[in-house]
Amino acid sequence: MLESLKGLTTIIMAGGKGERLDPLTRDKAKPSITFGGIYRIIDFTLSNCINSGIRRLYVLTQYGGFSLDQHLRQAWDIVHPDLGEYIYSMPPQQIMVSRWYRGTADSIYQNLNLLEKERPRQVLILSGDHVYKMNYLEMLEFHRSRNADMTVAAVMVPREEAGSFGILKVNAASEVENFLEKPPEPPGLPDNPDFSLASMGVYIFKAEVLVEEVIKDAKKKTGKHDFGADIIPQMVGRKRVFAFNFQDAAGAPRYWRDIGLLDAYFRAHYDLLGEPPVFDLFDKGWPIRGRPQLCPPSKYIYSGKAIIVEDSLIASGCIIEGTVRESVLSPRVRVGPGARVDAAILWDGVEIGAGAQVQRAIIEDGVKVPPGFAIGQDRELDARRFPVTPEGVVVVPNNVVLEDMQ
Amino acid sequence: MKTILVADDEEPIRKLLEGELTDEGYRVVLAANAREALKIVETQPIDLVVLDIRMPGMDGLEALPRILGLKEGIPVILHTAYSQYQESFMSWAADAYIIKSADFTELKDKIKELLHEK
Repeated sequence: MLESLKGLTTIIMAGGKGERLDPLTRDKAKPSITFGGIYRIIDFTLSNCINSGIRRLYVLTQYGGFSLDQHLRQAWDIVHPDLGEYIYSMPPQQIMVSRWYRGTADSIYQNLNLLEKERPRQVLILSGDHVYKMNYLEMLEFHRSRNADMTVAAVMVPREEAGSFGILKVNAASEVENFLEKPPEPPGLPDNPDFSLASMGVYIFKAEVLVEEVIKDAKKKTGKHDFGADIIPQMVGRKRVFAFNFQDAAGAPRYWRDIGLLDAYFRAHYDLLGEPPVFDLFDKGWPIRGRPQLCPPSKYIYSGKAIIVEDSLIASGCIIEGTVRESVLSPRVRVGPGARVDAAILWDGVEIGAGAQVQRAIIEDGVKVPPGFAIGQDRELDARRFPVTPEGVVVVPNNVVLEDMQ
Repeated sequence: MKTILVADDEEPIRKLLEGELTDEGYRVVLAANAREALKIVETQPIDLVVLDIRMPGMDGLEALPRILGLKEGIPVILHTAYSQYQESFMSWAADAYIIKSADFTELKDKIKELLHEK
């Protein structure tokens, strides 16, 4: 183990219900939603950990925990317990208290026995529903160099867009002076007033401070028992709270997306496409591990009509006989002869029948779109049949039978 | 009248505390182990808990978060003959940690303070 990682306990919080991603989250945890064809959202955080050298991880689960547990077993059985490495999924133990996790801070409180057993010096707390590439060691170094009690990773966002984030008000020394949840008047950075610092939900604590603060929070009868809403405000002014600005060497904000809304989920897929993409999955210096699936290579069947595939990610096992543009296809997707897929995210095993048209849509695994069917052509008709997002993306869950709709 | 629950597996200490705290004007309820204490917290109005740590079955540090979960915000004083548990994260959830002694002044003062009688 890297010397700098000794004394570090890492906890990924993955228990949230993700209601704003409904219907995708109706039967699974948000972090286990398919993303980018062959990944689950949590794979980005897990890959960050492995790429940072962190190979001892607790994943706190709650809502839809089975989907995550299954994914961790199938895709992340890559560490060696005999070397002291582990990736454990942890539902609420109900050992300390008989309740579900009330919030992110409460999920740590309920696992104090685990911290007592490990006795770490620092605790790294991560979220399982963000897409980014981050070396947590840089943040750990920052945390230590400031002798911080708590360090919050934060990314710069233009001030006019900052009203939808949890914003940190910092001084010139990066010390946090205030935390504002979705402020109408977001404060700018001291040296860059056009930008505000948005919390990424990534925290490093001195272990003992974390314990004190979550205990204090647990005793409060009110509040959300949440790191952003409760713990940061509770600590600011009393403790040394610093913001770690997640920026590149030139001072530009680095890529980070919270997959909190269906539209955000859809838009983040666009960042994977194009050349060069905003978010590069082919980056050899920072590999992202997905779910390994053994299937045959994808095939493109020519039967007299040109097959067009443009600006897309096509996983293995797909069979394409039509047109696919600006789309992301998971394994074993079929696009029938003459079918058109434009700006769509198709999960595992989706079948698009001959001549069918799909545009601006997210289609869950296994859905069979009948021949000639149209999705994303008539907004009113779509809205009667499927959930449609504010930005007009049609979501087709796999609990519907499309044949019945024709 | 405020009610104090004393949970301690040693009967002489329970009796001693019962006398001392009754003299102070409290109603005192006794529990001989942690499970009994949990049942009492769940079913009776209790204003403060004096909790021993080393008890058979379930110890005080295991009972502490459960007591807090049953009755949010209830003050708990860990009352033990041993100092080493102060290091345990689990003990930090208590409002006070007092080492047992023949003189109960510190305990009584802390009870008064936590019940806002001081």
